[in-house]
Amino acid sequence: MTIAQAAFLTGLSVVVLIILAFAGIVFAAARVSDGGGRLSVLLLRRMVRSPRERAELNRWAFYLHRISGFTIFAFLAMHIVDVSLYSFSHRVYDNVHSLYATPVLRLFECGLVFAVLFHTINGLRLLAVDFADLGIAASTRVLGGVMVLTLTLGALACWFIMRPVF
Amino acid sequence: MSATLEPEAAERATTANARRRLLGYLAVRVTGLLLAVLVIGHLVVTHVVTDVAATDAGFIARRWSSALWLIWDWLMLASALGHAAAGVSVAVDDYARKPVTRRRLHRILVVLVVALFVFGSYVIAKDVYS
Repeated sequence: MTIAQAAFLTGLSVVVLIILAFAGIVFAAARVSDGGGRLSVLLLRRMVRSPRERAELNRWAFYLHRISGFTIFAFLAMHIVDVSLYSFSHRVYDNVHSLYATPVLRLFECGLVFAVLFHTINGLRLLAVDFADLGIAASTRVLGGVMVLTLTLGALACWFIMRPVF
Repeated sequence: MSATLEPEAAERATTANARRRLLGYLAVRVTGLLLAVLVIGHLVVTHVVTDVAATDAGFIARRWSSALWLIWDWLMLASALGHAAAGVSVAVDDYARKPVTRRRLHRILVVLVVALFVFGSYVIAKDVYS
């Protein structure tokens, strides 16, 4: 492993730690202000009740939206720097960038794709909520569609990303 | 704080605040719509059409020989950083209780985002003028 590769992996580890810390802050604040950010039996029991009760899912979408957005930003901050290596030395860029093709990084990319897809599609839902003036029941129904689309497109993208490994 | 201001000044401050928030609201949605196209397109090009193992220096050289991709990448850089700055700034307001911490975090955020924008733009400009 070269020094540049070690620096990249260190940077990536820091990014992952920062993302986990941010998610911790979001859920800690949720426990204080919203009466519960933990996935519990009680919550699951509430979810299977009437659609009105399931409107609580909008709150979970908010947490996911915030955490996925922060995840993308934290990665972007590092990605701008690692791509910029191209402009200083093609050899160093190729050396560092070859790590992106390793199985572990490919798994990370799959996670990132899920984050981008959820943040994008849920973001479009939030636009629809404002512009079509959707109520809580309708926006919760659309959230179901957001999840289905995210998981389907995400699985498809993962198939493309992981295929060379097998 | 607004309670200590004169009524007229307080009204001006409220209007300015409302205008700033409206601008922020619009900026997040406009950049968000742009990013929906730019980022998904970026991922399709670097992970589906091309395998990530093939995105070496030659791949960037080929892509950046076209003005479309230079504009695409710079627009993505600018809108992603603007969108992120607005989003993280709201999160800072939500989670940082003390005004001092809040100001400090906002300042760090602005410095980070501006530095990334200037650096990224420099890298793209360097390629254009070389």
